[in-house]
Amino acid sequence: MAQAQLAAILATVNDIILGKQHPIKLALTCLLAKGHLLIEDLPGVGKTTLAHTLATTLGLRFQRIQFTSDMLPADIIGVSIYERETAKFNFHPGPIFNQLILADEVNRASPRTQSALLEAMEEQQVTVEGQTQSLSSPFFVIATQNPANQIGTFPLPESQLDRFLMRIELGYPDARAERDLLLGQDRRELLQQLQAVITVDELLQMQQAVAEVHISHALVDYVQRILNHTRESGLYQTGLSPRAGLGLLRAGQAWAMIEGRDHVLPEDIQAVLPSIVSHRLQRREQETNQDWIEQLIHQVAIP
Amino acid sequence: MARPDLSPDHRTINGLVAALFIAALPHFIYQPFWVGLAFTMMISWRLLHNLRGWPLPASSIWLRVLHNGAAALMIVIIFSHFGLTIGRDAGAALLTIMLAFKVVEIRSLRDYYLTCYLGYFLVITNFFYTQSLFIVVLMMLVIVLLNSCLISVNTSTSAQSLKKRLGLSGKMVLKALPVMLFLFMLFPRIPGPIWGLPEDAGGNGAATMSEQLTLGEIPPDQNRGTSGINDEIQMGKISQLIQSDAIAFRVQFEDDNVPPNKQLYWRGPVLWQSDGTVWSPLQTSQLNEQALQVDYQSQAVDYTITLEPHNKRWLFALDFPTGKPQGLASYFAPDGGLNSAEKMRNRRQYQLSSSTEYQLNASGDRNLWAALQLPAGEHPRTRALAESWLEESTGQSDYIDRALAFFNQQDFVYSLSPPQLRGDIVDSFLFETREGFCEHYAASFTILMRAAGIPARIVTGYQGGDLNPVDNVLTVRQRDAHAWTEVWLPEQGWIRVDPTAAVSSQRLENGINDLLPASRRSPGMIANNDMLVELWQDMKNNWDAFNTAWDIWVVGFDSQIQKELLSRLGMSNPDWRKMIAVLTALLALTGIIMLFLSFYRRQPTEPVVAYYQRFCYKLARLGIHKAAHEGPQDFARRAEQQLPAYQRQIQSITELYARLRYRRDNSALLNELADQIKAFRPRR
Repeated sequence: MAQAQLAAILATVNDIILGKQHPIKLALTCLLAKGHLLIEDLPGVGKTTLAHTLATTLGLRFQRIQFTSDMLPADIIGVSIYERETAKFNFHPGPIFNQLILADEVNRASPRTQSALLEAMEEQQVTVEGQTQSLSSPFFVIATQNPANQIGTFPLPESQLDRFLMRIELGYPDARAERDLLLGQDRRELLQQLQAVITVDELLQMQQAVAEVHISHALVDYVQRILNHTRESGLYQTGLSPRAGLGLLRAGQAWAMIEGRDHVLPEDIQAVLPSIVSHRLQRREQETNQDWIEQLIHQVAIP
Repeated sequence: MARPDLSPDHRTINGLVAALFIAALPHFIYQPFWVGLAFTMMISWRLLHNLRGWPLPASSIWLRVLHNGAAALMIVIIFSHFGLTIGRDAGAALLTIMLAFKVVEIRSLRDYYLTCYLGYFLVITNFFYTQSLFIVVLMMLVIVLLNSCLISVNTSTSAQSLKKRLGLSGKMVLKALPVMLFLFMLFPRIPGPIWGLPEDAGGNGAATMSEQLTLGEIPPDQNRGTSGINDEIQMGKISQLIQSDAIAFRVQFEDDNVPPNKQLYWRGPVLWQSDGTVWSPLQTSQLNEQALQVDYQSQAVDYTITLEPHNKRWLFALDFPTGKPQGLASYFAPDGGLNSAEKMRNRRQYQLSSSTEYQLNASGDRNLWAALQLPAGEHPRTRALAESWLEESTGQSDYIDRALAFFNQQDFVYSLSPPQLRGDIVDSFLFETREGFCEHYAASFTILMRAAGIPARIVTGYQGGDLNPVDNVLTVRQRDAHAWTEVWLPEQGWIRVDPTAAVSSQRLENGINDLLPASRRSPGMIANNDMLVELWQDMKNNWDAFNTAWDIWVVGFDSQIQKELLSRLGMSNPDWRKMIAVLTALLALTGIIMLFLSFYRRQPTEPVVAYYQRFCYKLARLGIHKAAHEGPQDFARRAEQQLPAYQRQIQSITELYARLRYRRDNSALLNELADQIKAFRPRR
């Protein structure tokens, strides 16, 4: 049942965003694994559309926050305003009190504002004037970063990149997909006609189910080998953290579920590995070797 | 593995180049200089490409022509230098040079493998030249390096650090050690040199004793020759020998009972006839055969000699042996020279016992006649001198004393670099230059004797030796080479007279060492510091003792020692069949032990994995190999593409395996997996 629903979600999203099956599947995997997603790409390739489509299909309340350099934490979290009628401070929640947040161009904001967002992502709650406010559940952040035009930006430091379960790139569509896109209907109109495929409750159940996908000892061995390799081979400046290892397993479970299996295979780990490690590992040698993650997979034997 | 044929990266190739360079290094010494030059140039080309981005031959037609042309030129040079028969030198030169040319060509993984494997051959060629401990250790290092090169292109974890790769490779070499030991001890040895190449066997170009002694100038071409296998040595040859530290033989005395240095006359070939410049031996047939009778007048000492190969028949013995040596077929010549039945092409050991005081009663008309011959018309001044003494002297022993006194009291000088002799060389030496060493004195003394009617002959051999206090082994080197005289007196037989002693008594009391310049005795820097000299001497003694043991027990381990050792270990009458049988058994046992250890140490393989491995093996036989990083489903997909007829079976097996291994379904499925894999018989 869950698999049929997932297939329906993927089909719907793929109808809106053409020719991007794999990144879309990864994005869905990330949400199912309760992780936050970082999309790094040029403007105009459909980052916002993807976030919006996902939110609508999954029946989530969606809010886009455009980050700018003069933004303050309050612009995200909200403010308490004194109200004369009640003679009280009343908290006006900010955009973060939504279920799916698109943090657009997160690297434009000052580190202070960034860390407010990242803290909220980590803790699932915010503290305003001594009062702790829980964020909604489910709570997803899809942040985007523009790799070009870095002047006047604050790129997220590596330690904060770790907060994102996955980093994906969308890239240009291929020729056929692009042709369909150019000839087809306006995406905004399509989005407005879009209906939710599942309810929020169903989504929460699915997240529950992801945690129950079986992980065998053999698979944990494999993940440990990958972690050890990144730590001991001397190819990377720092190895993967235990959090990255947990993320690998969790994402592998979600991927296996989308694939319709109740257990995780090494192939699932390999499928999610590039998006999980690419922003966490830095090669010691600055060779412009694009497929180094492919090499990483080749270098670790499956036990 | 189904990995793409990745070309090895620069760092991997640099490692191989380093290993090959070390392996080729000894050849720079053994081979003509252009071998080392060509090798260095080629690997430099490779390194310049790897480090600086210089172009390789493959990048342009001109460079390819240059590369191939240079290779062809080297082949021509090799053949024109060594001749058309591929012997040891030509073969080694060819391998060394062509390997370097190949290094420049490495592009694919296949080239890399090939070069690695040839590197192992290069390691072997070093042992054709020397089997010294140093080379063995060095080549072991090269093997570890070569292994690690293979490891780096072969494991799925190629990103392993150099330290890890070297560690793994070292471990592999260590694991191979027991096998190596068994093979070393038990592999049947063929007596004699394996390679029937006479110019290659024996004396490695080192100077050795020769049968003839020539007074006078050395023709320039004989100064250089490829080896000491010249059958002629001129005057001055022994001084060349004295320049050489090469070992002639080693002696181990029983009970460490070493006679004093001045008694250590190691008898070699005896020289009888002279044409005025060249002294040479006589054939046994030219002498009275039964003439050798010896009375021994002192307690005999027992000793074992380990003779370095010199490619001649003669053996050396302490004057005078009480019998034929044990451990070697040999015979005594009528002049007391000890000869082996075959040429000494390998290091050999023999046991002897000698008595340093003896009377050698070997007369016989023919012998005495031969010991009186002088070349007609030569040495007029020497003969005149002899006649004037003869008139004054009261008897033969008085005459001998006069001659010795002449050497002692006139201004004769012992010198290793005497001036050249001109004209009649004996006259020139006795009356003009008066500078020379043992062979000058022995030869002129012998002529003086014969001119007076006293039978005399020259004995060549060695005198003294270095006693190592660590293992009490006496090492006799080429620089201990010596020549002395034996004269025949009616009542006393042949007596040894050493005219050199009359000139320089040091030579006999302390050996040759004291006469060598100080710089040859110890490194110049430390010559002035007593403590350092002592320390140096100590280290040297220990090192020499170690080398001696190595040479005798490892390098000298031949069929005979092998037999002795095996019969001492309880194998009665060991022949090659028994050895092969025991060897096979031991190797099998080692294999089983290692296998057991590896199983014991590894986590027990789960049955499901073992079944799956069988499945993979069945596919591997059809050329479908599972890569180490490949998941079961990916592999199944690939296999199905190649074997569409077995799609259903492959899917079913993979599904079962995945469930058993990654889901822990109940193991009842295990039997099904086993059955399915058993029934799986894929065929193309």
